[in-house]
Amino acid sequence: MQLLKKIKQGSPGWFLLTAGIILLLLIPNLNIIINLFGKAGENWEHVRDYLLINYFQNSLILVLASGLLAAFLGAGLAWIIAAYDFPGRNFLSWGLILPLAIPPYIGAYVYQGMFSYTGPLQTFLRNDFQLQLSQQYFDFMNIRGAIFIYTIFLFPYVFLMTKAFLSRQSASLLESSRLLGKNDSTIFFKIILPLSRGAVVAGSSLVMMEVLNDYGVVKYFGISTFTTAIFKTWFGMGDLATAVRLAVMAMLVIFVLLFLEKLLRGGRKYSYSTSNIRPLSRRKLKGSKKVLAQFFCYGVFFFGFLLPTIQLLYWSFLSRGGELLGTLNFALTSFLTGGGAAVLILTGAVIVATTARMSSSFISNLLARITILGYSIPGAVIAVGVLLFMLQLDQIFLFLQTGFGIEINLVLSSTLVMLIFAYAVRFMGIAFNSVNSGYQKIGESYFEASRTLGKGVTETFFKIDLPMLKPALMSGFLLIFIEIMKELPLTMILRPFNFDTLATKAFEYASDEMIYRAADLSLVLIFFSTAAIYLITHHRRRKNNAVEN
Amino acid sequence: MQLKIDNLTFAYNKKEGNIVENFNLEVQKGEVVALVGVSGSGKSTVLRLTAGLEIPDSGKISIAGQTAAGDHKFKAAEKRKVGMVFQDYALFPHLSVEKNIAFGIDHLSKANRKARVRRLLELVNLEGFEKRYPHQLSGGQQQRIALARTLAPGPELLLLDEPFSNLDAELKDKIRRDLNEIIKDVGVTTILVSHDREDAEFMQAREVLMS
Repeated sequence: MQLLKKIKQGSPGWFLLTAGIILLLLIPNLNIIINLFGKAGENWEHVRDYLLINYFQNSLILVLASGLLAAFLGAGLAWIIAAYDFPGRNFLSWGLILPLAIPPYIGAYVYQGMFSYTGPLQTFLRNDFQLQLSQQYFDFMNIRGAIFIYTIFLFPYVFLMTKAFLSRQSASLLESSRLLGKNDSTIFFKIILPLSRGAVVAGSSLVMMEVLNDYGVVKYFGISTFTTAIFKTWFGMGDLATAVRLAVMAMLVIFVLLFLEKLLRGGRKYSYSTSNIRPLSRRKLKGSKKVLAQFFCYGVFFFGFLLPTIQLLYWSFLSRGGELLGTLNFALTSFLTGGGAAVLILTGAVIVATTARMSSSFISNLLARITILGYSIPGAVIAVGVLLFMLQLDQIFLFLQTGFGIEINLVLSSTLVMLIFAYAVRFMGIAFNSVNSGYQKIGESYFEASRTLGKGVTETFFKIDLPMLKPALMSGFLLIFIEIMKELPLTMILRPFNFDTLATKAFEYASDEMIYRAADLSLVLIFFSTAAIYLITHHRRRKNNAVEN
Repeated sequence: MQLKIDNLTFAYNKKEGNIVENFNLEVQKGEVVALVGVSGSGKSTVLRLTAGLEIPDSGKISIAGQTAAGDHKFKAAEKRKVGMVFQDYALFPHLSVEKNIAFGIDHLSKANRKARVRRLLELVNLEGFEKRYPHQLSGGQQQRIALARTLAPGPELLLLDEPFSNLDAELKDKIRRDLNEIIKDVGVTTILVSHDREDAEFMQAREVLMS
């Protein structure tokens, strides 16, 4: 009855469309679980008895270590930026997000290239100082190296979430702690860290999901994880059934992580007893503390963005004029695929979020959970689910054609349709969150005012909601666009024959030790990502200023 | 009879209990009624139910002799011809004053629409404000534009949700006087919600206490 009460307010069209979208998002995941009960592949026993434990171990070590280190690094930096003032702070408050513009697999080959025997560091030491150090000091291609790469390029997730959280905290909290005689480090560990635990855990769980999703770094470094194993059994051995089983195992790991996240975030939600909150005022740093803060922040920026970018520029310079036409070609493919897919995904998300808004909180929470599911599951797993689904569809088409003579000259597997569908499964959650937070900012009364003025749900949507959602749609578009530009595992598995994006080609060149060629493509990719990050952060800033004035 | 509410019962959440229970109200055409009560007494909810923004659990609402809710029927908000001025005014920020007012009368021809917008701006004493945007108006001006927008389609019923709560004391007297004048001028049946009995007296409204 309660359900009916809320549904009645919307229009059935929106609910039907939403139900369709949700079903499409769920099918690939359900497919995998159902297939678990099917026949095991021929390699499964071997994998289970000899390799599985290794996959588990490696994946867990990578995920937990990177998650933990990124949590400390991100939370510490967020605290410095939120609570202190020093020269360069303004730039760093968005500059420290920039490591996200460099996909970890590009960072991995850049660092490996720098540290290798023929790389600039060792060459420099050899030629100018006659230093010949043991290669073990420079060995980057191991678990420790991978953890470093993940931490330095993914910590901004924690940084962003914690910084946003801290900017909403009350100044009197800190001031009263100081008046009670606590020094800054006590305040950080006793007040700030426990208070922002939820934000830090949320950011860190994003890092862990990215690590589990990653294919490029571990493949390049030769570390076996679930993702590489799925690739190997599928492409190397052509054993889809075993790949499915591995995918289920990876999903189990994810569910354990999600459960842990919930546990760590805790049921406790702190809220203020008063609505009148004065935001944190930043303390000016002087002397050695200032230098220390600058040294730390710029240091992280240097290793997470500046150094790899300079190295890439240098390589690109060495190969100048190399493959300009090819680069442009891949850039165009990436651009069109990313842009087109982002528009499609955003359209779907707008439909789902609009329905969520008209529904009871139970339904809208459920919709939010389902859309974000794809982002928690590693790309390689989604790829398996999507491929199974498309193969089933093709079989149905074939059946209709041979059985009933209905002409459907349509094959979906290994087409761009399949790839874009997979992107949608993976990134729908990001789009949904953008649109949903846009709706929350707008509130309900405009919608209701329009209804009482005689406009139905759909007309209200086009005349009122859509124009007011524009900023949220813009930042949602940019977020999905860069995610798709950087995306590797889904694209590698599901792309049509001869279809290459900047990401896949850069990774291929790097894997073939054609670093100079990879450099051009990587730079274009980083340029687009940086531009998108700049647009998103500076658009928000302008808006914040407008509110303050 | 312009509005008739019988045995209206409603809960946002079954666990929290009914916020409106067996509520009855009759309003004659042209009458001004004030629902007065403390916060949480369900007075704003009655407005939302009347406007069609919430669906009652039981009971019946008739507007101008037609069933709006009850007897297994539910008329959507956009079909009730009930105008509502929201507490935060809800002027569409991306539309000019003129377009805000014209929003509910786009079935009229362009010339008629223009004339009607001009007449309404005259009514609320804001001639010449056509091209402004909501953020360029003061709080009092925003309220008058919201009123003009609500009156534009000629509603059967005007609902005012806490019309004086966002205003400082000085402005309040003037606004109450203006509002009273406009409502009497148009002769529209009005229900307003307030936590302050003084508002009801000032508007010469029939008081209905809610608890």
